[in-house]
Amino acid sequence: MGRKIVVLFVAVAVLCMTIPAYATTDEWWKKAAAPYKGITLKGIGQSTPPSEVVRDVIAPEFEKLTGIKIDFEVQPWGVQYEKVIRDMDTGAGIYDFAYIEQDGIYGFLQKDWLVDMTKIWQEHPELTDPDLDLADFTKFIEYYKDPATGHIYGLPFEAFLKMYVYRTDLFEDPEIMRAFKSEYGWDLRPAINWEEYEQIAKFFTEWGKKKGIELYGHTAQAKTGYQALPYEMVESIWPTWGIYNWGINLNNWRTSVKNGGTLNSDLAKEAFRWYIDMLQYAPPGVKTYTWDEEAASLAAGKVAQGLTYCEFLGALLAVPEKSKIVGKFAVTMPPSSPQSMNEAVRGIGYLGYYDGASYSILHAAKNPLPAALFIQFIVRKDFAIEYARRASRVVRKSTFASPMLKELDQQQGGYFTAFQKYEFLFAGAAPLPMHLVIIDIYMDWISKAVAGEVSPDDALDSLAEEIDSTMIEMGY
Amino acid sequence: MQNRRAKLIFIYIAFIGMAVAVLFPLYWTLLVSTTTKIALFEKPIPYITGFVVENYSRPFLTDLYGGYLLNSLIIASGNAALVLALAIPAAYALCRFKIRGREHIFFWLITNRMAPPASFIIPLYMIFSGSVFRGIRLMDTHLGMILVYCIFNLPFAIWLLKGMIDAIPVELDEAAVVDGCSYLGILWKIIIPVAKPSIAVTAVLIWLFSWNEMLFASVLTGTRANTITCGVLKFVTVVGIDWGEMAAVSIVCLIPAAILVGVAQKHIVAGLSFGAVKE
Amino acid sequence: MHGTELKGWGFLSPTLVVLGFVGIFPFVYVLYLSLFYYNIFSLRGMVYVGINNFRKLMNDPKFMSALSKGLLFVMVTCGVEITLGLAIALLLSKKFVGRGVLRTIMTLPLAMAPVAIGSMWIVITRPAVGPVSYWLGKLGISYDISESALQAFFTTVIMDVWHWTPFVILAFLAGLTSLPREPMEAARVDGAGPWQTFRHVIFPLMRPILVTIVFIRIMDTFRIYDEVWALTSGGPGTATKYVSIHLVRMVLARQEYGYGASMSVFLLYLTIVMCWVLLNLITRVKREVYAE
Repeated sequence: MGRKIVVLFVAVAVLCMTIPAYATTDEWWKKAAAPYKGITLKGIGQSTPPSEVVRDVIAPEFEKLTGIKIDFEVQPWGVQYEKVIRDMDTGAGIYDFAYIEQDGIYGFLQKDWLVDMTKIWQEHPELTDPDLDLADFTKFIEYYKDPATGHIYGLPFEAFLKMYVYRTDLFEDPEIMRAFKSEYGWDLRPAINWEEYEQIAKFFTEWGKKKGIELYGHTAQAKTGYQALPYEMVESIWPTWGIYNWGINLNNWRTSVKNGGTLNSDLAKEAFRWYIDMLQYAPPGVKTYTWDEEAASLAAGKVAQGLTYCEFLGALLAVPEKSKIVGKFAVTMPPSSPQSMNEAVRGIGYLGYYDGASYSILHAAKNPLPAALFIQFIVRKDFAIEYARRASRVVRKSTFASPMLKELDQQQGGYFTAFQKYEFLFAGAAPLPMHLVIIDIYMDWISKAVAGEVSPDDALDSLAEEIDSTMIEMGY
Repeated sequence: MQNRRAKLIFIYIAFIGMAVAVLFPLYWTLLVSTTTKIALFEKPIPYITGFVVENYSRPFLTDLYGGYLLNSLIIASGNAALVLALAIPAAYALCRFKIRGREHIFFWLITNRMAPPASFIIPLYMIFSGSVFRGIRLMDTHLGMILVYCIFNLPFAIWLLKGMIDAIPVELDEAAVVDGCSYLGILWKIIIPVAKPSIAVTAVLIWLFSWNEMLFASVLTGTRANTITCGVLKFVTVVGIDWGEMAAVSIVCLIPAAILVGVAQKHIVAGLSFGAVKE
Repeated sequence: MHGTELKGWGFLSPTLVVLGFVGIFPFVYVLYLSLFYYNIFSLRGMVYVGINNFRKLMNDPKFMSALSKGLLFVMVTCGVEITLGLAIALLLSKKFVGRGVLRTIMTLPLAMAPVAIGSMWIVITRPAVGPVSYWLGKLGISYDISESALQAFFTTVIMDVWHWTPFVILAFLAGLTSLPREPMEAARVDGAGPWQTFRHVIFPLMRPILVTIVFIRIMDTFRIYDEVWALTSGGPGTATKYVSIHLVRMVLARQEYGYGASMSVFLLYLTIVMCWVLLNLITRVKREVYAE
């Protein structure tokens, strides 16, 4: 009899110890949310597929489970930003939680607009998802930590890289390969540096003309008067030429060479001139392209190679109804100058842009605690693969181990393999608290140069001057 | 005889030219709203080749644009009702009463209508979000938008109505006074019935302005009170992939307004020119 | 005219209360803000700068450029709309079959939301793929409003002309049909040709309406935002960044609340001056014409 009891006791003990290893049960969420039943949480996200998933799938699920209502708004990129800023600046507390994009985090942190989530977890263990597993997040979570304390101010919700996409069907076509080799002397393959990229671009654009088909060798997000254009310069072009952090010297916040910055250096000017020059190999109308059209031009089969935010892979390029190049493209790291590649590998530079966002709690939120609960619900492990499937977003390392991922990897041009291989070379935006203000000024001058109103060199000189004086005006 | 013939031909050329010029963009938008996404990256085809219902059904049935349409309806109609309720007595007062500084009030009302709207955004945002007067929560509400549109519609309505009421002979008023009517009674029994067509036209024009307004709607609303124009803006700022849906939303936005304007068309010009042009 | 002043104020007061709340108070706050340097992301917070914002405004080349582009846009657009409108109105002033139909068609642009008009025109003018670009391309003309500042400018002009010329035509038509017959009969009897009739009889009689329509168009074109923003986002570079667009972007995107407020005040002042001048012109013209 005694032995049976001991066996039973041991069995129960073992069972209890293994329960936390299972994914968080519905019971746990219900219990944690019980004190807040009936409350309405108000949040705002971006009008991109993952946030729409939050609105259409996750929020209703959460409501059904817990009885907490979610009033979730999605707005396009600029509008969403502006609304969040105004809400936080006036302290109105309209929103409890918001989509905080990685490049904006520094401004928000500096103004103390976000709630310390680590503190919530310390003070409220009953609201901490046992399966939260912070160590499971990719290095992207580092951007949401306060460098001084290591506390977390938002849970990563989506992250993706801006990489180099090329058409495997065209690059492996024997006729094309022969023609290319005979003209340029080396075997056609994805470009490693910008000289090769330019040659390939020229080749394909001329090939399109020769064959009378709509094919071009390059695409860009060159819409003047829209922020996509300056972002392409500061995120992708300049770093791969060796100009980092927007050309700003982070020690004294100055951009012009005479003040210690690199924005109007000869290298930056050369890169900028090159970028504008390359637009001739893009489809006509490239100057109406924002980030969406850059991807859409690839999906429409018009372009043989180009850079794109990989969020568009799962949402556009790999979707049969929307894309003509399903199964015909591959993804790899962007071309770069040898020097910048060297610096990236050594960790003092970076090659490309690590884009993404978190959901964070705003400081004037009326219901910070249930909001913390909901945010954890959004990023929970067992749902993470869905973001990868629909929109190529990965924030958790465990997602890579998921069985579905191999299939997705094939559909999306080998993106996830490339991601794991090259992640360390990518970085988010430079830590600029006044980011939003100065991107507007960058947009102004870069647009003027692309439109031909001023020369690229003059544009950069004027830009550097204006940024420096604005920095002084703002007290930096 | 020859002369008149030539003139008639000229007129019909102008007629057709005008009709084509006006209708072409609208026709093209309708066309785009019936086209598939991929086809919109190809060469333009000038005739309808099949009807993609998804361009209409997705925004309005699956997505939230149906709600936006309803919001626009509530806000525009609510604003029209409020403005009329305020403007009719106000115009009556400015016509019939010896108010000092009438001209100045009038002028100030007009400048309200003419001012660049952007000037008001930030203060209004601050008031509506409750950072100036605690306890005011007008952000993202229908009432808030109804009040905001008064900035432009109220002066406009007063100007219009004043012109129309001025045309009503004072003798009618005086007869009513003799019969023992109060001023409110005069307003209700004499002025309003006589000015009914003008009031109707004013209502249409106010409704039209509120229905078509975008800037304030996009800044001051969120989920609950988003209007259909905010919906169009969403397509514009992330342009490129959903041309067909954008066109569909634009067409649907146009239809109610076009109907109302069509009904009131005889008086539209008089209305829009502040009564200066009588038809 | 009757009634005591007090009762009059009674009827007027609800209006004044509402307008005070949504109109005056914001305006006063804008005046207040215009005296400060206030950018949300600045480290210095709100700093009193007195009239420095206005001084900066007067020396700001970007603002002056936006202002001059805006004024150029106003002049070109209104010029085209008024002359074209008058010419077509004169042509259509004879009765003809289908005039009712034409009038109905011409009220359609008025009913469309400006942002929808902008989006409609983007679709038509998309480089290479939009019908206008495509067919002009076939004729050998390269049309791309994302490349050419001049083309973008004229496209915005044409867009506004499309939007409002029908209204102008209808207004002038209404005016023409309500003109008294006698002066024109007299002119014909005197043997005057059509141009002379126009110059000496029709035009003077139409002056009040003309000036009113010009006034309305000038004020509205000066404040244009929705359509142009939807079509070009400020155009290639800043080619179509008219003054109202510049102001909105300064406040919403650049977060310059103080400087933006001073810009608002200045533009309001400019608007009031223009209003006052034009209104006076209207009353003077009215008086002249009716005195004849």
